[in-house]
Amino acid sequence: MSGIHIKNLNVSYGNTTVTHDVSLDVSVGESLALVGESGSGKSTVLKAIAGLATNWTGDIEVDGIARGRSIDPEIATKCQMVFQDPYGSLHPRKTIDATLSEPLQIHGIKDQSARVIEQLENVQLDERYRFRFPHQLSGGQRQRVAIARALMLGPRFLLLDEPTSALDVSVQAEILNLLKRIRKEQNLTYLVVTHNLAVVSFLCDRLAVMRSGKIVETADVSQLKSNQLAHAYSKELLQASRLHSGSNEKTPHNDHAQ
Amino acid sequence: MSNHPLLEVKDLTTSFFTSRGEVQAVRGVSFDVSPGEIVGIVGESGSGKSITCMSILRLLKSNGRVVAGQAHFEGQDLLKLAEHDMRKLRGDDIAMIFQDPMTSLNPTLTVGEQIIETIIAHRGSSRKAARQRAIELFELVKIPEAASRLNSYPHEFSGGMRQRVMIAIALCCDPKLLIADEPTTALDVTIQRQILLLLKEIQARLGMAIILITHDLGVIAEVADRILVMYGGMVMETGSVDTVFARPNHPYTQGLLTSVPKLRTAHKERLRPIPGSPPDMLRPPVGCPFAPRCLRAMQICVGEVPPIFEMGDQQTHKAKCWLHHPDAPTNDEGAA
Repeated sequence: MSGIHIKNLNVSYGNTTVTHDVSLDVSVGESLALVGESGSGKSTVLKAIAGLATNWTGDIEVDGIARGRSIDPEIATKCQMVFQDPYGSLHPRKTIDATLSEPLQIHGIKDQSARVIEQLENVQLDERYRFRFPHQLSGGQRQRVAIARALMLGPRFLLLDEPTSALDVSVQAEILNLLKRIRKEQNLTYLVVTHNLAVVSFLCDRLAVMRSGKIVETADVSQLKSNQLAHAYSKELLQASRLHSGSNEKTPHNDHAQ
Repeated sequence: MSNHPLLEVKDLTTSFFTSRGEVQAVRGVSFDVSPGEIVGIVGESGSGKSITCMSILRLLKSNGRVVAGQAHFEGQDLLKLAEHDMRKLRGDDIAMIFQDPMTSLNPTLTVGEQIIETIIAHRGSSRKAARQRAIELFELVKIPEAASRLNSYPHEFSGGMRQRVMIAIALCCDPKLLIADEPTTALDVTIQRQILLLLKEIQARLGMAIILITHDLGVIAEVADRILVMYGGMVMETGSVDTVFARPNHPYTQGLLTSVPKLRTAHKERLRPIPGSPPDMLRPPVGCPFAPRCLRAMQICVGEVPPIFEMGDQQTHKAKCWLHHPDAPTNDEGAA
């Protein structure tokens, strides 16, 4: 079966079980958001799929392959992860070129140079940045590199862990546009962790609300937009986001800006 | 607005002297805060918003220096005050809360110890009176079971509760001005809202003024009375929150407002980011700092820093932008 399928996933860190019987289906081409408060286990689910959290029970299936606890090169070529903090997720002493070539070397893929250039183009990063180091790049440019790195092996699934929350607002918009475009162009499937419901409504088709390690509700984005979430916590989350992004309601005239 | 502003900052200029040269973090910032007012300072990383407040409190790192300007608090210039007097003022009249409540509390002491210590240091009260005051403050910031929670350590509190503890400590001495630097950034949205509402409620009850520093326009919209939009170390636009959000008059403010995704953003829509990246403050642009990214930049914008223009709608609404010069092309042309 294609897509990502998770059944009764219980992930533990040491003796603490973080997620409780999480079941989730993401079909091909879909973009699903995992939302919820910090500590609710949303990033942990992503880590388990990516193979970064290995102490779990249940079933994880990616594109028809059952995931084991060890490193799986086949799943790596199908499913890649982008992390929240582009300052922390790029090796500070490796050039962008080295960072992007590494997955190709590991998987023994040829014509590395051409592929690196192709991906830089894909994420709209000028070729002159190729031999620079991460500290010479802005936050937004670094996140482009992180996205390019995730795309090097041509995956069909991207796990995005708060991809824009470390960025400034004006840069966040660029990255969100980029993610939306490449998803459409390459027919990618997204599983996005975020706490920002506006990002969900922009980038995703469905959302799953997590609390205390459990999925309390799954809904369509149209339900989110029309304020029709059922669970009490989802409602609270939506209310907080709505009032919180008060700027939206208060900007009747901003259409004429720019 | 008021005849006697509580804080009056004039032409504040702060630089950091690094091995790479002078970083001009704040370049001629002027604003005032009236008693009981909530002023929000919004800007992206590196816009100078935190440094502005650190300069006022004289808490800059050793390589930072206020190069010019004044900051009058109740008539006296904070920048000229003796360090001894400044220390008394900090915490007593002006209090500050920071972004991360975990790193601003001492993990090895109970929160009670930390708040009682502060009260004794500033008020010279007895331990017993200080403890009583601490309980009152915990009740004020709505920490349940205040008396017993005094004996807890910071790690026994959740993020939101920890920020309440920080607010309680800041309120120890009934400050006239509270500076809150990204007080809710590290918190979840639902908790964030609770803390903001708490701040607003406390402000209404105690009547202190608040300067709220944030990169989040939503936070400002929710609690502030007035807004200062900073970019490249300068104030780009200022005015009442309602006016600035309804009629942003600076291209940067407009760009910020349109680049934020909204809950109702249609699925097909693309967001409109602000092209380019913020200026390098080692070599800030000669003219308007936003000119290199501004879609409506004119020749003069690149060469000369714009003066501050008052907007017609309200005297307090001001924008630092050449587009408001009488000779500039009209709004309609530009918006087309």
